[in-house]
Amino acid sequence: MKWISSYIRKEVWSPYVAGILLGLVGIAAVWLSNNLLGASGAFENLAGLIGKAIAPKLFDNLYFNFVMPPGITWGVILLVGIFFGGMIGAATSRTLKWGKKDASNSDEQWKSIIGPQKWKRWTLGFIGAIILEYAAGIAGGCTSGLAISGGMLLAPAAFLFIAGMFASGILTAWIIYRNRY
Amino acid sequence: MSNYILALILGIFFGFSLNKAGLTKYHKIVNLFRLTDMAVLQFMMTALIVSMIGLYSLRGLGLITFPVVPATYIVGNLVGGLIFGVGMALSGY
Repeated sequence: MKWISSYIRKEVWSPYVAGILLGLVGIAAVWLSNNLLGASGAFENLAGLIGKAIAPKLFDNLYFNFVMPPGITWGVILLVGIFFGGMIGAATSRTLKWGKKDASNSDEQWKSIIGPQKWKRWTLGFIGAIILEYAAGIAGGCTSGLAISGGMLLAPAAFLFIAGMFASGILTAWIIYRNRY
Repeated sequence: MSNYILALILGIFFGFSLNKAGLTKYHKIVNLFRLTDMAVLQFMMTALIVSMIGLYSLRGLGLITFPVVPATYIVGNLVGGLIFGVGMALSGY
């Protein structure tokens, strides 16, 4: 039992062990509640909920009425769980930076490539997240909802998505890093 | 209601595994695209293999029916993936 508790406290697990855990969660999600593990859709459900309250005319369209109906869906609850799960993970390895000084920009590699300023991290994170969410809307899912959950049902969409993701991801990383690639 | 509690518990395990695999760190994600750290790929593929085997054997045993499989529309999936990769390499999420 001792090695289990000391393994839980390790900061970085073997990706194979963590992958097995995620695979089991994926099976449980389909088996117990017939749902797929999707994260990006939940943001759209929430955005629809807020949008309908603020500007009902603007959000009264095909997408928010039929494709992504607003509301507190299964995925939104899952998202809350993901947030706390990540926090628990960080807390068990004592790397939780809640309220600490460098919490918003603590990645050494980011600091050395782009700079230590907080606003750069926030701005690029924000822009990147807009691109992510928009693309997830086009493709019909994100890394978790389409690539992993779709992939485990052997959906062709998932593999097309992974191919596209790697092609442009490698290119973007190459542009950012250039001679340090 | 119990379905929502289940979602919360599954989400906690999901987030926990993501954190422990290091997917919550910028350098893990971007180093995947620099082809210097394959942890993300190892993590994703292990999860895929485990759940593929599990789900298809459970369906073979008649214990589950599959939920709606994500729709395939070749241009949409590919273009979405292409844009997604840009955002992923930029923000590292």
